[in-house]
Amino acid sequence: MNIGIKSWLDERFGLSGITDFMTKKTVPLHKHTIWYYTGSAILLFFAIQVVTGFMLVLYYKPTLEMANESVARIMNEIPLGWIIRSVHSWSASFMIAFVFVHLLSIWIAKSYRRPRELTWMSGVLLLLISLFFGFTGYLLPWDDLSFSATKVGTDIPRAIPVVGVWVTKLLRGGEDVTGDTLTRFFGIHVCMLPVFLFILLAIHIYLVQKQGMSLPLEAEVKQEKVKEIPFWPNFVFRETVVWLLLVGILFSIAIFFPPSLEKAADVMAPAPEGIKPEWYFLFLFQTLKIFPAHVLFVSGETLAVLLMFFAAVLFFFLPFFDNKPTLTKGKIITSLAFVFILYALVMSVWSLL
Amino acid sequence: MTLARPSFLILGFLFLFLLAWIGAPYCPAQQDVEQAVTSDLPEKQEPEKIIGAPQDIKQKTGIWVFVVWMWVSILVLVYFLRWKIKEVDRLYQLRYFSAKKN
Repeated sequence: MNIGIKSWLDERFGLSGITDFMTKKTVPLHKHTIWYYTGSAILLFFAIQVVTGFMLVLYYKPTLEMANESVARIMNEIPLGWIIRSVHSWSASFMIAFVFVHLLSIWIAKSYRRPRELTWMSGVLLLLISLFFGFTGYLLPWDDLSFSATKVGTDIPRAIPVVGVWVTKLLRGGEDVTGDTLTRFFGIHVCMLPVFLFILLAIHIYLVQKQGMSLPLEAEVKQEKVKEIPFWPNFVFRETVVWLLLVGILFSIAIFFPPSLEKAADVMAPAPEGIKPEWYFLFLFQTLKIFPAHVLFVSGETLAVLLMFFAAVLFFFLPFFDNKPTLTKGKIITSLAFVFILYALVMSVWSLL
Repeated sequence: MTLARPSFLILGFLFLFLLAWIGAPYCPAQQDVEQAVTSDLPEKQEPEKIIGAPQDIKQKTGIWVFVVWMWVSILVLVYFLRWKIKEVDRLYQLRYFSAKKN
């Protein structure tokens, strides 16, 4: 019976091609193999986000009057609703943390070197989409803190010359953060971003399969033979161990440290003290704060935003700058990754103090 | 001039009443009563912060049982998977899968 169904499906979908590919695909086994698991961990947390998001959207109402109330209802009245919300919130944080770790490990290992430039670029775009997911999702509970943080966040593009004001208005759906902004953010969060993410993810995974896993730089330079294991079942079993442990950690944290919900935002009230964005924006937030009001004839905020934009462009095209990884330039670019980690950590801690 | 007994009693009663009225806010027993009365009244202000938590002891117990069950299942599965990994690695080294295909 089982064989009958298998051959019936194979005749229609051509599944044997996929299974053949999986058994023939190999994964290098070396001391840095642990970093390969970060990519699949991102997929795991994204899948959890999708499932819990589907559950939350059944009860969430994206209107000015009902948004906060509906989240309160999810937390107080819907059976285990607070756990679902907590898992959604924590898996978002876990996903973004793993995207950062994944990209930084690739930067340090220089896995983006030829012919994997496009894999890197699609990965950077996926990071931006993940951050935008976090930004739009943060407003949805419509409480004091999320409202004020969104007000500050959507005000930042205003510093960009020429198009800045237009970008802010586009994000807000008007001059201020209102019910229109909430509806807009909800639409972006549940409709637009998932579509972009699925397309980019498909491209990224295709490129990873096409190019295969990268080898450590020293092994490639010395043309050493690296031990390999089959993707199926050897690597998949190892990945399953990592997935199980991550699911356990995620659920335990979500149950014992659920996110709270403040009272509904009052549009007319002054901004509360100690507005902080989500942890992954803290280093950018602090960078903006430490810039002086004016640097020569330019506004400090405009200069900071332009510098961040310039850094993001350099980050996106990094494989093209780091085209000679074994030379001094390559070593300097690797050390920049450590400088970035240190900078982000120091700025985030400073922002929290 | 002497006060009649009933008038004396009324004055005494009034004195005690005044003493109780003035002293009531400083009397702990009275404060308890007032607190009990005000706590019975429904709250008009909405809570400042909602923190997700199990709603009753049944749910709390259920969550603890779930967490323990989850970790026991994970550890058992990890144990079996480690054993399976060793086995498939050994079979791969013996070229068992490629021999099977040929």
